Amino acid sequence: MEISVNGEKREIDVALDMPLLWVLRDELGIMGPKYGCGIAQCGACTVHIDGMAVRSCQLAVSDLAGGEVTTIEGLGTPDALHAVQEAWIEEQVAQCGYCQSGQIMQAASLLDADPAPSDEKIDAVMSGNLCRCGTYPRIRAAVKSAATKLQET
Amino acid sequence: MKYPLLVAVILGMGSAVLARETAVEIVPPAEGSVSVEDGLDAWSRVYEVTGHPRCANCHTGPSDRPMWSGPTYGETRPHGMNIQAGESRMGIENLQCSTCHTTKDEDWDNANDIPHAAPRVAMGWQLAPVEADWFGRSTEEICAQLRDPDRNGGRTAIDLAEHLNHDLILHWAWSPGGGREPAPYSLQEHINDILAWGVAGMPCPQD
Repeated sequence: MEISVNGEKREIDVALDMPLLWVLRDELGIMGPKYGCGIAQCGACTVHIDGMAVRSCQLAVSDLAGGEVTTIEGLGTPDALHAVQEAWIEEQVAQCGYCQSGQIMQAASLLDADPAPSDEKIDAVMSGNLCRCGTYPRIRAAVKSAATKLQET
Repeated sequence: MKYPLLVAVILGMGSAVLARETAVEIVPPAEGSVSVEDGLDAWSRVYEVTGHPRCANCHTGPSDRPMWSGPTYGETRPHGMNIQAGESRMGIENLQCSTCHTTKDEDWDNANDIPHAAPRVAMGWQLAPVEADWFGRSTEEICAQLRDPDRNGGRTAIDLAEHLNHDLILHWAWSPGGGREPAPYSLQEHINDILAWGVAGMPCPQD
């Protein structure tokens, strides 16, 4: 079957019910999305499907239905970071970093839907992304900083 | 990656729990053939279903918060992750239900076998309308809501049965998988009870 990831068509030969996360990491070598729990309890595997945040461990590849997959590798590049990635670096959000690609993808999706979220909105949307290091205050600060950046562009 | 392990777990669970549409028949009893007493008996079984956590957990009211409960969760508690379904009842205003409860378009058998994973069906996941607030409600309260056209979507008993037939989240309630306790009786038996209750005139215990 053919799927579209980060703007490229990729041909894969896998079981229909293989979770997208396994396809990305094991079949396509795209290692940004992380395996945390495998049951949509942690958010480390978050990617975008047609711009919407989705836990890739929970989506069977056959259920993609032609949706465009964006991983953190496709969100920005080192030369042209997404505003959320810029803010993440400026706020030095990451500690161990394992959950951060999922956090960033969720935050980018949040800001796409709501360019100026309140603290309550940030907490409501980001609560499905767990961080064992407890970087939540910096995550919230970076989301607000990224919102400002996006509004200035 | 743990995919082979998960496959082994799934295969080891024996009977596959299907998330597919269950075929049911909508055949109401003849008009006048169900007494009020029998209608109330049917209603008591309907209430066992509507009051069961498998159904009531997603029939929460203005709190917008679905509930979790079951053998592995201990006491009933609000859905983790600060989930708020919002006015849309699909989380559009905050975190969409479909972020985790992905839509299963293809017909594969093991969609909901993994314990604690977010259940999924071939339609968008959502809470019931706020008017259908069943969580913690009495048999009298739920009965009054279900027969009130202003609060049941303008549905007759046959319409309610058709709704049960068409809403695949409701089908899931009888085959939830992942070690979850299904709703009581079967979907067909529940539909039959709704139809009998309707033919009896939708009697409620408080009448």
